[in-house]
Amino acid sequence: MNAPQTVTPAASDLSLDNVAAVVGIGQSDWRADYKSVREGGKPTDSYGYGAVSFRRALEDAGIQKSDVDGLIVGSPTSFERASELYGVTPRWGLQADSSQAIVAAMMAIKAGFCEVVALVYGNDQRSAKVQYGGPQAMGGGANLSYVYHAPFGLTSQGALYAMMQRRHMELTGATEADLGQVAVGQRAWAGHNPAAIMKDRPLSLDDYLSSPYIAEPLHLHDYCLINDGGVALIIMEKSRARRQGRKPVTIKTAFRYDLHGGSTTLRPRLMDFYHTGHKVVSEKVYNAVGFGPRDVDAVLVYDSFSCHIPFALEGFGFCGIGESGAFMRETGIGPGGKLPVNTHGGHLSESYMQGWAHQTEAVRQLRGEAGLNVPNCRNIQYISDVVGRVYSIIYGVD
Amino acid sequence: MAGPRLYSPFDKTMWESVAEGKMKIQRCEECGTYRYPPGACCPNCLSTEMQWEEISGTGKVLSWITYHKQYLPAYPAPTTVVAAMLDEGEILITNIDHAETKDLAVDRPIRVIYGDHPDGYRIPRFTLADGPAS
Repeated sequence: MNAPQTVTPAASDLSLDNVAAVVGIGQSDWRADYKSVREGGKPTDSYGYGAVSFRRALEDAGIQKSDVDGLIVGSPTSFERASELYGVTPRWGLQADSSQAIVAAMMAIKAGFCEVVALVYGNDQRSAKVQYGGPQAMGGGANLSYVYHAPFGLTSQGALYAMMQRRHMELTGATEADLGQVAVGQRAWAGHNPAAIMKDRPLSLDDYLSSPYIAEPLHLHDYCLINDGGVALIIMEKSRARRQGRKPVTIKTAFRYDLHGGSTTLRPRLMDFYHTGHKVVSEKVYNAVGFGPRDVDAVLVYDSFSCHIPFALEGFGFCGIGESGAFMRETGIGPGGKLPVNTHGGHLSESYMQGWAHQTEAVRQLRGEAGLNVPNCRNIQYISDVVGRVYSIIYGVD
Repeated sequence: MAGPRLYSPFDKTMWESVAEGKMKIQRCEECGTYRYPPGACCPNCLSTEMQWEEISGTGKVLSWITYHKQYLPAYPAPTTVVAAMLDEGEILITNIDHAETKDLAVDRPIRVIYGDHPDGYRIPRFTLADGPAS
């Protein structure tokens, strides 16, 4: 009897797994620019921060600008104007947030639209005095929850997360000191990161607990920084990336799931902590790579506010639902802890680059070039769940 | 009257009902699904046919926050905002007298009362339905 022929499932040809790799990274001088802006300066605009970062990423990758045939820009800048100013004539490109930018680069490379994609983000949010609260808050056009409740007294994105955090504490018994593990842990990581804005500003749990509330139960240190800056990455098809000088960092897999039902009145936040999306995405990415949360060497979580971390740790299975308070306290998420989280300091202590600097930190850790390297780092997981759009990306080295 | 910012053509009817002290929200005429805030279609069946129904005004506390610094001109600190699940199954987010904060707890019954916004319009607010905790 003939053995059945091995048939390659059609789906495998559609996979974006292991198609692309990061070969270059760059960023602007966040610390110097933070100081300058606080003193009333305006070092440059969003395009300028992008340009500084783009040039450094090209140098890091060892390629010329003319090698770039795909361009993705961050949401603060126009794709067309960036193409003009940066002197890039792309065969393909778009404007995207950090997670979607990585996924879009994978798609474009897989589809053959382009081979070398530059991802360039620049944001002058601090010097431009961008407002994240009030009836005219940034993002309110896309996310009604940011602005809708102002007549009733609720404003700012921080308050929306505070509302989640209060309910989480009431339902699970987690304490403010448990949540403080995030701010304290990330500040300790930042202490090792020469690029981190808060590098020289140590933070103890007592400091955290005695800091003022902004929207109780969230304290000052639960909020991200607001600073000017830029980040850039160069992504290539993987076999071409191997022929470049630098050690490529493979984008092993990525997935997304959105939760927008009832989002204006915070239903997916308060009733679910976005766990439905976490569950779908975690199953997909862990199946794709063949390992689970216990095998991840470090996790990088989009942290506009500290409480993103406990919700994501629960939803992705790093601990049980409702157990993140004890988990963070007992396992440790800072330097020396068993689960390194936001090893660059994150948005809270390094730089608020809207997830872009989390991607470059993944590359640094996997190259062994981070401020403080996680030992034997082979796999890094990125998680983002901003306004109910859950993403995860797993990076690795062969 | 000076009013709140309107985000859709449907907001006006809701705010007029609030001004009368009888807040109404939309309900799909075809499948009966409530929706808040106001919008053009039913998230369940996409029907654009709807009617306005007065809310029961009762519900349960989901969560709350307290501002210790003033951000909005109408709300000097300290001020407390509550998210509650109305009996209709829709979430309403609005403020409560700050003095009631200490008695808030998840699932405590709450009811809607009406108050004046300094900009010259009325808003729905919350109060604890069963009075302060003993």
